[in-house]
Formats: sequence, C-alpha cells, structure tokens
Amino acid sequence: MDTSSSSHTGYCPVGPDSLTQIKRQQTNPARWNGTHWPDFAAALRAAGVELLETLAACGAFATDAGGTAYGMPHGVVIARDAQQIAALLKTAQQFGVPVTVRGGGLTTEGESVAFGGVLLDMTGMSHVVKVDAKTLTVRTQTGIFWHSLAEELRRDGLDYLSAPLNLTSTVGGSLNVGGIDVNSPRLGCSADQAVALQVVTPTGEIIECSETENAAQFQRAILGYGQFCVITEVTLKIRRYTPVRMQYFYYASLRTAVEDLQMLDHDDASDYSGILTMMDTAVNLLVAFDSDEREAAFNSRWKSRLRGHGELGFALRALPYFLVRPWKWAEAVYLLRRKNLLFPEFRRPEYVRNGLMQDRTVVFSRAVWKYWGSRQMVIPDLATSTEKFIAAVERGNAVCRKYFPYYTLYCVGIKLRDDHKPHYELSCIPPDASGWAYGCEFEPMMDRVYSRDHLQSFKNEIYDIGVDLGASYYRFGGMMKGYIRRALGDEVVDRHLAMKRKADPAMILNRNVVF
Amino acid sequence: MVAPLPNVRGDFAACSGCSLCLLVCPVWRRTRDLRYTPHGRAKALQNGVPVGELKDSIDSCTLCGACEPVCPENIDLVDMTLNLRAQLPPSIPLQQKAAPAINTTPDYHGKRVLLVGRALREHDVALQKTIKVLGCVIADDDGFDIALNIEAGATLTEARRAAFLDPLRHAKQIIVADGLLCRTLQRWQPRANIISLGIALSRHASVRQHLKHGDLYVIEARAYHANVEGLVRYYDDLRFDTGCAMNLDLQRIAIPATARNLRQRLGIDTPDDDAQTRWLLQGRKVTRIVVEDAGDMAAFKAVGDLPVVHLAELAHD
Repeated sequence: MDTSSSSHTGYCPVGPDSLTQIKRQQTNPARWNGTHWPDFAAALRAAGVELLETLAACGAFATDAGGTAYGMPHGVVIARDAQQIAALLKTAQQFGVPVTVRGGGLTTEGESVAFGGVLLDMTGMSHVVKVDAKTLTVRTQTGIFWHSLAEELRRDGLDYLSAPLNLTSTVGGSLNVGGIDVNSPRLGCSADQAVALQVVTPTGEIIECSETENAAQFQRAILGYGQFCVITEVTLKIRRYTPVRMQYFYYASLRTAVEDLQMLDHDDASDYSGILTMMDTAVNLLVAFDSDEREAAFNSRWKSRLRGHGELGFALRALPYFLVRPWKWAEAVYLLRRKNLLFPEFRRPEYVRNGLMQDRTVVFSRAVWKYWGSRQMVIPDLATSTEKFIAAVERGNAVCRKYFPYYTLYCVGIKLRDDHKPHYELSCIPPDASGWAYGCEFEPMMDRVYSRDHLQSFKNEIYDIGVDLGASYYRFGGMMKGYIRRALGDEVVDRHLAMKRKADPAMILNRNVVF
Repeated sequence: MVAPLPNVRGDFAACSGCSLCLLVCPVWRRTRDLRYTPHGRAKALQNGVPVGELKDSIDSCTLCGACEPVCPENIDLVDMTLNLRAQLPPSIPLQQKAAPAINTTPDYHGKRVLLVGRALREHDVALQKTIKVLGCVIADDDGFDIALNIEAGATLTEARRAAFLDPLRHAKQIIVADGLLCRTLQRWQPRANIISLGIALSRHASVRQHLKHGDLYVIEARAYHANVEGLVRYYDDLRFDTGCAMNLDLQRIAIPATARNLRQRLGIDTPDDDAQTRWLLQGRKVTRIVVEDAGDMAAFKAVGDLPVVHLAELAHD
C-alpha cells in the first residue's frame, strides 16, 4: 500500500493514532523486474555456481519467520564457500541483480525475504572449521545455527559466550544484527564476541578483517545488517561450559521489575538477567548464575533488595487483587492456564537436573516456539538508553493493551563496549546509550486471526514511540526501514548510504533492508 | 484397503518455518540443503509447489522421526512424508505377502513374541541371545513386507493387515525390532503391550548390568522418536545409572547412526553414512559401541576399529 500521500496530509489510514509526517514504507518492496536475469544466470553458471530456479527451491524461501512479508526470488544459491559467494557477487554486480542473504530466516520484517533476484542461503556454510580450547576461540562458517555450534563445542566441554535464546538463529545473522542473550547485560551482544572475520565484499573481494587488520571493514561488517559484505567465517570467543542456576522473581509492576533489573545489571549481581512477562500483570524477573559462588554472593547481598516475590508469595498477593476485580477474571484464568503450560516446560527434568539448567537455549527456545510461535509473528521492539527504558516499556505496554488481550514483553540489557562504538553506529544500539542499552520486544499472542492492518497499526504505534523517545530498534530494517532515518537522523543515514554506494556500486546486496 | 497412517495430526500448512527440524535431520547434516528437510518440503508446498517436484526430497527422508518431537506445531512429520510418498510412484518395487490359510495361524497366547525384522535376522548371534534373554518366540510373520510398504507410503490390503495382526492379538507382549513397525503397531493396537527391542533388552538386568562408562549406547531412533515423551526419562535414568554415553543431542533427540533412505537401506543404492556416523562419534571418549538396532553395526565398523556389539550380546551365558 502506498501511504505516502496520506502521510503528507497528516492522516494515516493504517495507523490513525500514529505520529504524522512519517513516510510509511512498512509494505513489501516492489519486486525486482528481472532485467538481464537470463544473461546473469548463464554467466553465473559459467562461473561454476549452482543456481536453483525451480519452484521447489524458490518456494521454500518465500517468507521469513514473521510470515507477513512474501516474495519469491528468481533463483536460489546455497552457500558453499567464500569463492562461490565472491563469484556470485561479482556477477550480480555486473548485471545489477539483487542478492538477499538469509541465515536462519528469523527476521520478522521481511529482511531475509528476496523480492526477486537471488536468495543466498547461508545455512549451506555451516561447518565448524576449528575449535581451539587453549585460546578459547572457535573458527566457524557463519551459516551455522548457534545450537549446532553448541552441539559441537559441548563435545569438548566448551560453550559459546552469548547467543540469542533461539536454537535456529545463525551465527552470521547475529553478527549482522547483534544477537541478545540473557547474559548480554554482562557480556554484550553476540556480535561483540567476534574476534576476526572472513568477509566477501559486494564487489566480490574476499577479505580477512579484525580490529587490527582491515579495521574499517570489520567495523562495517559487525552490526552492519548485511549492507557492506557477506560474512562467511568468524573467529568467536568461547568459554568452558557450565550449567546454570536459575532464580525467578515475580512482580505486579513493570516499572519496579525494570528498576530491579537495571540495579542488578549495574551492580554485576548476576551472570544472567532478563524480564519475561504475561501482559503487565505477572512480570517475571529471571536471574541466573554460572557458579555457586556467584549465586551465594547474590543471595547474601542483592536478593533481599529485590522487590519481587517467589511464586507462592506472588500468587497470594495477586489473589485479593483479582477477587475485587471481576472484570479481570478472564485475565486471571488466562494467567493460570498460561502458567500451567509454561512452568513445567521450563522445568522439564531432562533439561534441568539437580536444580541446574543444562542448556538454557534449549529450554527457552523450545518454549518460545511452542507457546509463542505461529505462522505469523509480529514482534516490534524498542532499544533505548538505560534512562529512557522504563518510559519505552510502559508506553509500549499501553499500546499492547490497546491492541491485544494477551501479550508478552521480553526485556534485556546489553553491556556496551567503548571500543566497539564504531560498530554500534546506525544499529540497534541507540546513539545516546552508554554503559548499557536496553531492548524490549512486544509480542502479542495470536489467539485469533488479526487483520494485516490491525497488526501494522500496532507495529507503527510501537515504532512511533522510538521516534518520539529518540530510541533505536532491534528489528532494524525491512518493512520498518522508514523509521530508521527519522529515529536516527539524516546525517548518520546519509553518511552510511554514501559508504554503501561506494562499497556496493550497483546496490545489489540486501538492497531492501536499510536504505 | 488400509491407508497405513490415516490420522495425520497437523500437516504442512501448519509449518511456521522455525527450522528446528533441521537441527536434528540426518539428511540436512549430509546435504546442508533446506530442500531436503521437512521445513523445505512444507514451505514449498505452502507456496504452491506440486508434490511431484519434491520427489527427490520426499524419497531422501530416512523416517528417523527426529524432527517430530522437536516440531513446535506438533505436526506428524513422519506421516506427512508418508502421505506425500503415497501420492508418488514408489521408489522401490513392492509386494505384500499373501494372507496365510486359517489353519496355519500360530498360537501366541500368553507368549512374548519377537518381530525380528531383516537386520536382526542377519545377525544370528544377536538374535539367539535376544531369544534367550527375553524368553520370547519368533513370530512366523514378522511384518517385514508391511514395514516396507509403510515406509514406501503404499496402501495395505485389509486382508494382509488382518493376517498379520490376528495371531498377535493374544500375545502377552510384542517386541518389535523395526522402529517404524513398532510405531505403527502401537497405533494400530494402542491397548496391546508393544515395546521396542531396545527397551525390552535394556530393561533386562543381565543386559543392563554390563553397560558401563566408556560405552556409547546407540538408541534405535525410530521407536524412540515415536514416543520421546514417554521414553526420555527412561533413557536419561539408564544413562545416569550405568554411566554410559548415548546418541542423544542437547535436546535429547537420538542422533541416528546412519542417514539411509529406503533404497539405501535395501542395498539398491549405495549408503552415504560417513558424515552422520563420524558426527555421532566426534569428540566422544568411547571404548565400545552398543547398538539397539543390528542394522547400525556395519556403519560403525566402517568408520573405526572400536568394538561394536548388539545390546543382546551384553548378556553373559
């Protein structure tokens, strides 16, 4: 839908409550028209690259995890090595054919959907190259799922440092967008764990880069949203494996829970922390520890300062609240049903033994896909500085209340590194954040079929808060890219656009994502 | 005529594209190609691809069932694949046994009956040990042709199914070596006492007591994945009680020892097991391999010099 004219008049029929004067671009981009495709396909094959043009190949990649953006590529290339990708990009540059790179396909705004052109499936490059237990690093191809990497590392008693709580996120995808774990308040985002990269530039050069070698390329590659290169290999920091000791605290107030979360992060009181809610009624602050010592220190110094309660204490306090509010009984029933579904899942004995959670990502990701996932997922988010976070959460929560009966908020901090500031520019890390950035995802429960307009209006209202607060977004592109310039300003966007044009003259690589 | 698996729970339309099936799929491990996975097939079908264009993918599936328990949409992925196979020409020539005459029906009343299957039948030492340890009789009709027909997605005749099931009706327990047949029988006769050969043997003290630290215990994937909810704790306890390692991944899904499709398992096409078997062994400090499925023995022997024994062979004379 072209809503640009309506934005000029100040009225948006899609999001009537949204901020005015923002050019709406939250619809599928136009499909690339296929100019020179047969010549391109012939040249690519002549270069020895297998190009799949069957409906079976293209149809498998027609949408992403969000399920709201649909687009068919003209052809699919399954990544096999850097040389093959270099040949693809050189040829694509020559013929002006767009190339969309896909990892796990877990985007929700169509960032990994190809609206024509080539879909490059990176999961074909998913082998571990080398594990070095002495230096605690691993070299791996970037199409590997974090969980597959964990499976390999665990055979040697090792583990990754920080990765999204989703089994099918790929390493490459996380390097490009950040990657948030519940240990990010301590360790930073997944992308911060990268030591060195092998990348293929949009013009087909294969480059090794790091903080000390081709540093400018390294800066643009990390958190680069795939604009400046395809990352093909990475050296990541890793660590010795430890199971995790979990503790849960329940709140009836978002504000109080967020304040406590930020206090814990600031004081380095736990190894893992985050907030997962059932609406704003049952707010769960989870904390976890890698060792008995850390947990003992938390128990003696910080636990009594938390204003949340255990499960029973929270239930006893919630009971009178609901008793005198009969109009909220349906919500109470929902909470109980939800609790009965979720809590056993988080405590399944095969994953939690002797009080220790063996694999946090297995536990959380299974539950997330089972109890939050569906063929359509709408998860707008806001990323802010510490100071603005409570306002963002409370305002976003009000929007959720307005649009949906049931929803979940997921909040987590990201420890920032001063030396990584160049990576953070034009990314999910807000420019005014220092020390920590905080992100909140707003995820409605798809308990019924909602219209596309309804979902879009909801997203717009959440994203509008970001503009108003001067925040950023974790889902940073695709169908919401119209917000980037408005939220982060013309100067930084134009500067990066100039860099993009220089690196990618034909603007072929992930062309519909950011610019 | 009897469709082998009539009640499919969910279908490809429910696939949300989460890719969790890729993490456990042996065909994915070998090909790293989304097209050869349940996810790839489901998404292709959702987007209008005719079944005929997916024949290679559909035939490549090993039916190990690892994808099914990890699917958050609870899709019967094995059945989905079998139903797709049923819409295509079979990948192997198929026959069904003729129904035997009534007066030849054996009497299994009150007995433990073993459905041997092809792989165990070819390992006489393991077979004889199994019979001795379990005190069971071998069924005259082990349903091998039925298992093949099911795997090929073919439709069974009612007469053949009845001829197979009727003698088993009064058995005290039915022990099934073929995982896919075990899964199917449990559905056909939900009130009957049907267990996999692996469970039957590993419960037995004379076998269990000889499992030890250093063993890699290889669970037969098909029967296990048909009932992960019911078996995961059993195997977890077995693992902790005996100290052996198992072919379980971090999600407690059994990593199949091989990645053979039907034609490869029948020896029509050459198997390509190396990547799968080596992955199973990678980084593990193992001194002996113990398999539930006799069909896995050759694959392990091909990639190393570790002793490989069938579970039944652990029982001392």
